[in-house]
Amino acid sequence: MSRGTSQVRRSFEADVLVVGGGLAGCTAAIKARQTGASVILVDKGFAGKSGQTPFAGSYCVFNPEWGDDLDAWMEQVSSIGESVNDRVWTELCFRESYERYLELLSWGVRFGADGDARAGVEPQRDGPPVGPCKAAMMETRAPSMTLRRQVLKHGATIVDRTMIVELLTSGGQVVGAAGIPADAEDAVDIFTAKAVVLAAGAGGFRPGRWPIDNLTSDADCMAYRVGAEITGKEFADPHHARLDQAASVMFGRYGRDPEGGGPPRGRFLDSDGHPLPPMGVLDLDLDRAVHAGHGPLFIEMPDGVRWPMVGGAAGGMSVHKAEGIRPAGTDCSCNVAGLYAAGDSLGTMQSGATYAAIGQSVLGCSVTGAHAGAGAAAYAARAGGPAHPAGADVERAAEAITAPLRRSGGFGPRWVTQMLQNTVLPYYVLHIKHGDRLRAALANVEFFRDHLVPKLYATDQHELRLVHETRNMVLNAEMRLRASLFRTETRGCHYREDFPVRDDGQWLAWVILRRAGDGMELFKRPVSAEHRPLTAGGVQ
Amino acid sequence: MIECDVLVIGGGMAGWFAAIKAREQGLNVLLADKGYVSKSGETIYAGDTAVFDPDAGNDLAAWLEQVDVIGEYMNNRHWNELVFRDSRERLADLRSYGVQFEEKDGRVVRLPHPHANIVLPDTHKFPPTVSEVVHWLPGFPEKVRKHLIKIGVKLKDRFMVTELLLQDGRVAGAIGFSIEGNRVEVIKAKAVVMSAGGGGFRPVGYPTHELTADGHAMAYRAGATITSKEFVSPHSTNPKDPAWPPMYLFFSAGHSAAQPGMYSAPHLFNAEGDEVAARGVAWHGWIDAEYEAHEGRAPLIADLGKRGVLPVSGPGGHGSMFGHATGGIVPVNDDCATEVPGLYAAGDSCGTCFIGANYSGFGFATAHAAATGARAGLGAAAEAKGLGADGGIDEKAVAAATARLLEPLERKGGFTPNWVTQVLQNTLAPYFVLYVKHGDRLQAALSTVEFLRDHIAPKLYARDDHELRLAHETKNMILNAEMKVRSSLARTESRGTHYREDFPGRNDEEWLAWMRLKQEDGRMVTFKQPIPAEWRPDAAKSYEERYPMRLPNEVPGSGAPNAAGEGR
Amino acid sequence: MTIEKIDLDLCTGCGICIDSCPMDVIRMDRAGQKAVIRYPQECMNCEQCALDCPEEAVTVTPYKTVPLISSWG
Ligand SMILES: Cc1cc2nc3c(=O)[nH]c(=O)nc-3n(C[C@H](O)[C@H](O)[C@H](O)COP(=O)(O)OP(=O)(O)OC[C@H]3O[C@@H](n4cnc5c(N)ncnc54)[C@H](O)[C@@H]3O)c2cc1C
Ligand SMILES: Cc1cc2nc3c(=O)[nH]c(=O)nc-3n(C[C@H](O)[C@H](O)[C@H](O)COP(=O)(O)OP(=O)(O)OC[C@H]3O[C@@H](n4cnc5c(N)ncnc54)[C@H](O)[C@@H]3O)c2cc1C
Ligand code: SF4
Ligand code: SF4
Repeated sequence: MSRGTSQVRRSFEADVLVVGGGLAGCTAAIKARQTGASVILVDKGFAGKSGQTPFAGSYCVFNPEWGDDLDAWMEQVSSIGESVNDRVWTELCFRESYERYLELLSWGVRFGADGDARAGVEPQRDGPPVGPCKAAMMETRAPSMTLRRQVLKHGATIVDRTMIVELLTSGGQVVGAAGIPADAEDAVDIFTAKAVVLAAGAGGFRPGRWPIDNLTSDADCMAYRVGAEITGKEFADPHHARLDQAASVMFGRYGRDPEGGGPPRGRFLDSDGHPLPPMGVLDLDLDRAVHAGHGPLFIEMPDGVRWPMVGGAAGGMSVHKAEGIRPAGTDCSCNVAGLYAAGDSLGTMQSGATYAAIGQSVLGCSVTGAHAGAGAAAYAARAGGPAHPAGADVERAAEAITAPLRRSGGFGPRWVTQMLQNTVLPYYVLHIKHGDRLRAALANVEFFRDHLVPKLYATDQHELRLVHETRNMVLNAEMRLRASLFRTETRGCHYREDFPVRDDGQWLAWVILRRAGDGMELFKRPVSAEHRPLTAGGVQ
Repeated sequence: MIECDVLVIGGGMAGWFAAIKAREQGLNVLLADKGYVSKSGETIYAGDTAVFDPDAGNDLAAWLEQVDVIGEYMNNRHWNELVFRDSRERLADLRSYGVQFEEKDGRVVRLPHPHANIVLPDTHKFPPTVSEVVHWLPGFPEKVRKHLIKIGVKLKDRFMVTELLLQDGRVAGAIGFSIEGNRVEVIKAKAVVMSAGGGGFRPVGYPTHELTADGHAMAYRAGATITSKEFVSPHSTNPKDPAWPPMYLFFSAGHSAAQPGMYSAPHLFNAEGDEVAARGVAWHGWIDAEYEAHEGRAPLIADLGKRGVLPVSGPGGHGSMFGHATGGIVPVNDDCATEVPGLYAAGDSCGTCFIGANYSGFGFATAHAAATGARAGLGAAAEAKGLGADGGIDEKAVAAATARLLEPLERKGGFTPNWVTQVLQNTLAPYFVLYVKHGDRLQAALSTVEFLRDHIAPKLYARDDHELRLAHETKNMILNAEMKVRSSLARTESRGTHYREDFPGRNDEEWLAWMRLKQEDGRMVTFKQPIPAEWRPDAAKSYEERYPMRLPNEVPGSGAPNAAGEGR
Repeated sequence: MTIEKIDLDLCTGCGICIDSCPMDVIRMDRAGQKAVIRYPQECMNCEQCALDCPEEAVTVTPYKTVPLISSWG
């Protein structure tokens, strides 16, 4: 059944390759272009319509002129983020937020009523439910297409509908990437670049209730495979959704419902009709209530209507801006030369163990996008002549990427995804955790990794994409389970039933994962001393 | 409170016979079924039954050898003999109850075993297949129901029994509820026959969703020993249409399977277009198909000859049911009495180890259900007769059992039975858990099952009578899951339908033994029961003579050593 | 169901919905005339196709059928 190597092959070359066309990727592409670098932006969907950016509706913006107090804002993130936010990044994002906001306005992104930033007029800002941080309300969907237009206007090339599958390296340095276009059978696209920015968003396990089925932690996985450090995998994003509408996006239907998908204005009730304690921005209280036997939960809307609720809507995502490739510096580089990351793909730990302020995520995308774009362009400029991947490496990559098309049988990607979901989606695995259950899930995931993934097969190019997404989801699951096992305490959105308290003595630290040969190595990196809470030390 | 002499729980083939035989002793017999007697349970799908008849030239020794070899010595020869010898009378009984059989010239037509003539690739020796079957005609369950009513057995349909009630260490009745209206009732009885069938995990593609191993669970909780849970019944389904299994195509046009001339062994092909050895379809019943898939050679296609070509998937089928007529409550004598005084077991609830490690002959399950049913009915009747005035049941015990029964209704929240069932299925139904087994994966499944048992099951809640039934069924499925996983972990070899990737060979030295389990201090313990020396395979025979069927991945003709038990 | 149907009487074949779909559910028919639901299994119900279709030809519902689990397939 051998069909030989791929028949269709396209090649692209640029100074900077940006993978992913959400807010982070678009910003990076524009910033890199502004330095004069040639830029290609590639997206597995359609840049401007894919990823999470189309759904976001708020942008956290700090401006002392509007009476904002930096210390108070910092305190909010550290206390809700439970002291494992990276204060360098938290502060940097706040300080640069206004500049990025002005820039977004200048590009044509529209914010809430009354805003006239140039005249110093504060736009409508919202800051529920706790603390002083406030976000400007933003249109949904339109901004991402606005950004796309800006990318093109700035002279970058956009390649839509190509999924990047593998980074190409030469001498330990990233020099491009290989991917699969959706619209040609048995085809491979090869990109050569002096620097690569991964802005491919976050990822879950195709949760259905949160529109991120297309995000499968591809950036984290590709970076991990070439040796990058990954962080924040133990924290969970506990977004909830309606139980009765298994596929509805949170509470409303995006775009049509004037309320959009914003935070619910109702209150949570347990099965006895008792109201649950008011929630933080996002926390695990709902899962805990269910675990204690008080499910089903309802959200009671102001008009008295009750909707049954389910947790874990983002199924397998971590807290935004607290998961991903660990930056080595504020230029968004990482420990692998030539590799940059931005947005949800970058684990700045701008947020901590919990999502600490509304709109912080979009803010982080803007800021890291700008830094990564500039950083990658600077690196490309330093790099001089193009460093091409070796021809043999390209052949090997192309062959490996399309190999599932040449298998006549094995396991279908949809089935393996389902098995993975069965293993990791129940609330008691990655939300209410316990060593025994984590190890049980890990045993399955290792089996998927070793036995099922190598036998994944695809009958067409669409399924080939599913195969690679499935492979990434399996790796992401392994990372999440191992990180969760490693952090033997409870903090924010990492809740261990068997280690139910915070342990500041041991765990004012980030968990870092790294590939070591064929194994996964885990270690902790302490939060710097001056950023520890004053009460630090000992078990609280 | 209802009173009777003999309570029969479950009205399939086994329950029918138990009720009829006890009633024929002049006793007051109540037959309770959570479905409707003649419309529920597996019996209604069966199309044939094995009948041993020396007058038709059947040779007992040859029949026993068939079970030995195909059952891989996990069969109980004593029970094989009893059931075979009883089968002719049971056939006569059924005819006298009005059941019609395929006949010619006034005689029931005897058919050779459907696999008797299968031609195999010459690398595979095929075991001797001498047993014969007869076919009943559709409508047989209704005939038996009429007969039950006629002779005065009291039927209690749509009544789910949830717990056996004990008084002074013996079974004195049971408690349950009417599924409509959740009316709780206590049934007092001098002896109880458990004939509630087998159970799986509500598999797609096999119509056994109402069977949730209730009988095994209730008896286990009352202190009985359970056997042979590691063997599985690997039937296939069609992945395109998973709820409509090829089973039906093999068997019939879709109603009762009771149609003559309906078997044919399909040819199975893997993704590479190679034929998968037909033994997979026959005796090992799809374990080979599972293994093909495991090795990355799925999708598999079944060529059904005239009936077309179908994609097949693994055991949606029995969803990890045990082999029929093998696992279950261990009987302690020929009357099917159990270790729990006053409790008898029959049919798929009864762990005689009749068929062994594979389904060793067509029609054996119903023959076994009929024989054990009749024996249990007679045994229970004799015991009931021997008892004097009954002693009553402790009121406190009844109150406590009632509270346990209704508990899910009292709770306003917690976990729904449907969700818990789904989680349990997710944990156990994938082929790589109970079909192609591995210690690591079994251990992982066990952790989840223990969590479901300890944390989730106590918080099951029900909003109505329908969900109350589901809640109890879910609890029983969780217990059944624990039994299956623990037994599978304990048997550190491969044999018949029990295939361990990490112990891929047979190990006669260690494992000519039955795997038993029992409750001790609230915990489930497993232990071995050695098979009597005289039933073991003849050590003078070569490995391949003892075991003509290859295990997955076992190289034919390699002549494996005896002691190491490695099949290669 | 998730994406339920594309009304072919209304569809003009402009192709917008294909770009709108992050999951590659929709493709053009072979003749390149109309949009067709090619891979419904992957639909995640984000509604972007329906929102973007100028002809309002696409119907998406908020319900999803959970696939029946079978042991492999
Ligand atoms: C419903 C919803 C509401 C939200 N509301 C808010 C809010 O109000 N405020 C806020 O701050 N945040 C909010 N967020 C979070 C916020 O939208 C995200 O954090 C942010 O948009 C991430 O932007 P990004 O550029 O990093 O990634 P994304 O926007 O997710 O973009 C990633 C892009 O990469 C592409 N891609 C992925 N993998 C590959 C690959 N292998 N090859 C090529 N391309 C690839 C994808 O197709 C996608 O276009 C919300 C998120 C959701 C889902
Ligand atoms: C599709 C199919 C085809 C088959 N074909 C054949 C064949 O051709 N030949 C053959 O020999 N065997 C065949 N078998 C196997 C055979 O049918 C069974 O092994 C046999 O019928 C079991 O009989 P039983 O009386 O033990 O249990 P069942 O017939 O399963 O009856 C159990 C009864 O108990 C009731 N019950 C369960 N739990 C409770 C409770 N808690 N309270 C009250 N009632 C309860 C159920 O409602 C049910 O009516 C087939 C099985 C199936 C599913
Ligand atoms: S967007 Fe609407 S009109 Fe255009 S191709 Fe899609 S369905 Fe047809
Ligand atoms: S709802 Fe979203 S995922 Fe589904 S077809 Fe439309 S665009 Fe694609």
